[in-house]
Amino acid sequence: MWGESLRNDGEEPMSRIVVSAAGVTKVVPTAAGQLVILDGIDLEINAGESVAIVGASGSGKTTLLGILAGLDAATDGRVSLVDANLSELDEEARALVRGQYMGFVFQSFQLLGSLTALENVMLPVELRGDRMAADQARQLLTKVGLQDRVDHYPRQLSGGEQQRVAIARAFASNPEVLFADEPTGNLDTQTGEVICELLFELNQEFGTTLILVTHDHGLAQRCDRTIAIAGGKVVS
Amino acid sequence: MNLALVSRMAWRDVRSGEMGLLLVALLVAVGTVTSISLFVDRLQGALVQESASFLAADRQISSSQEIPQTFFEKAQEQGLQTAQALVFQSMIYGGENNQLVSVKAVDGGYPLRGELIVADQPFGEGYPVTGVPEPGEIWLDSRLFPALGVSLGDLVEVGMAELRIGGVLVAEPDRGGSMFDLGPRLLMNLQNVPETEVVQPGSRLSYRMLLAGPEDELQLLKDDLPLEPNYRWVDIRKSNSSIGNALDRAESFLLLGGLLGVLLAGVAVGLSAHRYAQRHFDHVGVLKTLGATPAQILRGFMGLLLLVGAAAIGLGLAGGGLLHLAIVELLAQFLPVSLPAPGLRPFTLGAFTGLICALAFAMPAFVHLKNVEPMRVIRRDLGVTPLSRWASYGAAAAGSLALLVWYTKSFMLTFWALIGAVVVITVFGFVAYALLRGGRVAGMQAKSGWRLALSALQRRRQESTAQILIFGLAIMLLLVLVLIRTALIEEWRAQIPDNAANHFVMNIGPEEVDGVGALIEQSATQGEFLYPVIRGRIVGVNGLDAKSWRAQNPYLERRLSSERNLTWMATQPSNNVVTEGQWWDADSTVAEISLEQEYADEMGFSLGDKLDFDIGGQQVSAVVSSMRSLEWESLSPNFFVIFSPQALADFPATYMTSFYLERQNKTFLNKLLSAYPTITVIEIDAVIEQVQTIVDQVTQAVELVLVLVLFSGCLVLIASIQSSRDARMSELALVRALGGTRRLIAGSLTGEFLILGIFAGLVAVLGAELTVAALQTQVFELSAQIHPWIWLLGPLSGALIITVVGLIGSRSLLDSPPMHVLRGLN
Repeated sequence: MWGESLRNDGEEPMSRIVVSAAGVTKVVPTAAGQLVILDGIDLEINAGESVAIVGASGSGKTTLLGILAGLDAATDGRVSLVDANLSELDEEARALVRGQYMGFVFQSFQLLGSLTALENVMLPVELRGDRMAADQARQLLTKVGLQDRVDHYPRQLSGGEQQRVAIARAFASNPEVLFADEPTGNLDTQTGEVICELLFELNQEFGTTLILVTHDHGLAQRCDRTIAIAGGKVVS
Repeated sequence: MNLALVSRMAWRDVRSGEMGLLLVALLVAVGTVTSISLFVDRLQGALVQESASFLAADRQISSSQEIPQTFFEKAQEQGLQTAQALVFQSMIYGGENNQLVSVKAVDGGYPLRGELIVADQPFGEGYPVTGVPEPGEIWLDSRLFPALGVSLGDLVEVGMAELRIGGVLVAEPDRGGSMFDLGPRLLMNLQNVPETEVVQPGSRLSYRMLLAGPEDELQLLKDDLPLEPNYRWVDIRKSNSSIGNALDRAESFLLLGGLLGVLLAGVAVGLSAHRYAQRHFDHVGVLKTLGATPAQILRGFMGLLLLVGAAAIGLGLAGGGLLHLAIVELLAQFLPVSLPAPGLRPFTLGAFTGLICALAFAMPAFVHLKNVEPMRVIRRDLGVTPLSRWASYGAAAAGSLALLVWYTKSFMLTFWALIGAVVVITVFGFVAYALLRGGRVAGMQAKSGWRLALSALQRRRQESTAQILIFGLAIMLLLVLVLIRTALIEEWRAQIPDNAANHFVMNIGPEEVDGVGALIEQSATQGEFLYPVIRGRIVGVNGLDAKSWRAQNPYLERRLSSERNLTWMATQPSNNVVTEGQWWDADSTVAEISLEQEYADEMGFSLGDKLDFDIGGQQVSAVVSSMRSLEWESLSPNFFVIFSPQALADFPATYMTSFYLERQNKTFLNKLLSAYPTITVIEIDAVIEQVQTIVDQVTQAVELVLVLVLFSGCLVLIASIQSSRDARMSELALVRALGGTRRLIAGSLTGEFLILGIFAGLVAVLGAELTVAALQTQVFELSAQIHPWIWLLGPLSGALIITVVGLIGSRSLLDSPPMHVLRGLN
């Protein structure tokens, strides 16, 4: 069984595969018949690697990110994260894997409006049942430059500030893999660059594997590797 | 999700208004039920108390035989209060005059409920007293003083005893309407009865044992005593059918009103919960991406619902309590009775209503949250699988059923309410959909705001149909309540019109008819009828001796062969309905009789049976040719047996009539009795006044329930408008962003609500007519009728209420800058 024992926070070789997909296919029914969104995707991502998934709109890159992160189930194929075979797990078990190993940053920030910045950062740990000192959450918010906004609600923060909170939240559970969906998509260029810088900086500091979906070439170029998707297949 | 996190989220949701409507809807459900139940329980308690005064006790045991001492011992062992009374008719003598009176001899405990009212002089102002006449003393009705020519302190002969007049009796609680109670009253002490020597074998006596105490103890005693056939257990419903029926129907109505309030609040809870859940799909998606499992989501949101439910229950109970106090205060001047302290039941009912509303109406939406796909966070276009309608409606139906049965304690009422709901929802669905399709054609011709309104309704056709259904149901329930209320009150009032005859005159000789009529004409309002009356008893049935016809049941045997009033007439009385057979032709020469249906059933008589009567020593036979049902509560003379005129034409008879007399003209009775000393006047004005008081109180309660249900109905409207607010918001934000003026949007919203209101009003009227017809015929035992005025009132009030409430609920859409609205969509 996957679990705490599978975590290895110590030194580990770069070659350890943390995410793999083999023959991943996603087909959805539509009025016009079956629509193939992903068509036999194979890929492997090593620990500590940063990977950008790029492609045109409708190419299937967001669907691929969702399946790799266990947010969605593939129609066919196998997806593994660390030692867990996501394809064989039900939603209950996939949720536990996400809580244990993954962090997320979304294009539309997705902070909970009823919680303050500090509470949003503490949330993943609270959900895991662990007690996280508020001090640790404050430190994370300090790292993203929001030490003065800890008690603010999302609606009281700008888009850039909300994304910083989202980044702090993503690292709060000390994830093995960080998934980011267009993290700068809702931000202006300047703020986007700042956020991008922050993301990579923290990624480096925490030694996290980063998998992001983006249209932004600059952001993609900063990654170790780029996977291009077109027509549901990996093209490069 | 731990408790701290759940509590924090609940508190924030309440503070931010996300949970506000759900909390308010739950609070209103609990508050409405608690306040209605508190008020109704206390009012019912008061009415029962007041009604108990009609018996001078909580229960009576009456018999023509002496009540055994063991009955008193058993009652006292169970901690019940007891008293006894003996009632009989007797001729009394004072000075040179005599008078037939109804004597009531009572012991020191009388009355256990209600008060004796006495005056210091005949026809004087009365005041309550606690005691009864001392031994050797009697109290007399005012009009006996001039009739006998006596004054306070004089001696009067009652049987063999001489008793002193110690007081003027104005009123006693259990005056009643039995034959024993007819005529002016003489109240005396039970200790003096032996010396009167009126109690002899064969005397016609009514022994009464009065009982008071807790309901369950009374019931225990009833179960414990060998009552039938010699001893009759009497409660208020048995002793006075007018009051009994008024109470029964009032209870049914109040409960119906209460349960409609609960159902409306339940609908509001359901709508609010669905809206809350919809607005939390993203929220749940995020929680799931962060590792929350479906089980955690379920536990968390259920915990949240229970927390909010608990808060709503607490606040609702307190609010309901305060509201009911305010109502009592408000209606204090209209409530002549003092209300007893409330019991725990209303609070229990309120709390369980909150819990059931939360679980049945809100829970399905909350449970559904666990099914939100986490993928929604990055692919909003995926949407969320709709909540199973079976789960949603099934839970709501189960909850409604539980609440209805528990609240009404009546499967019949629940059954009809549910049948009505199912029929109405199905019919409403079709009608609403058809109206919307019709509206599309009109929409093409419309301009600006109206076109926008109609196209908006078309775009959300499913949602609009549902809204018309919900609005329609709310308006329908209100209309049902108004119609039933009107019908009930009219019926009560019709039973006892303001100038209903309140005095009966019996024993009018044939030669006295004209004279008595002329005298009544001068000082009072003559009643409509003049019946011949003759006394007789049944001695044979189909050739058998009457004693052997019901020999297996001594009570029925005695009842069958007892002497009773007989009459004859050519035409059927207006308040009698022939249920079997046919009324005779006016010129019939055959001896026929018509029997009261229940009496005939009890005695085992059928059409065609031949009954032999002994009338003043002569035998008369007649064939049963019809059965009749009577309105016993009509307070007009009714007869078990009516003969065709030919049968009794040769027998000497006396006549009876009725008249209405104002209370202040009571001395007219002395004038009448002086002129015609052999006639008997029966006064029922006190009974009528008591019934009218109860009807007035019940009417007040009915009005109040209507106001509370109206409030619940408005809440449903707000909840329903709120549930479609997000969709409207997104459309109007775009219209405004694209240059739509505030006026255009206001016009469009007004148009949308007006159309929804009119359509909802139309379907509501249809549903109300159907439901009221079913309720009137099946539950309230009234006749069904069409109400043309609601066909105008329904759509108009629907349009008005929904537009006003809708515009108030949507004003933020008009007042917010488009950017705020667009940002609010995220």
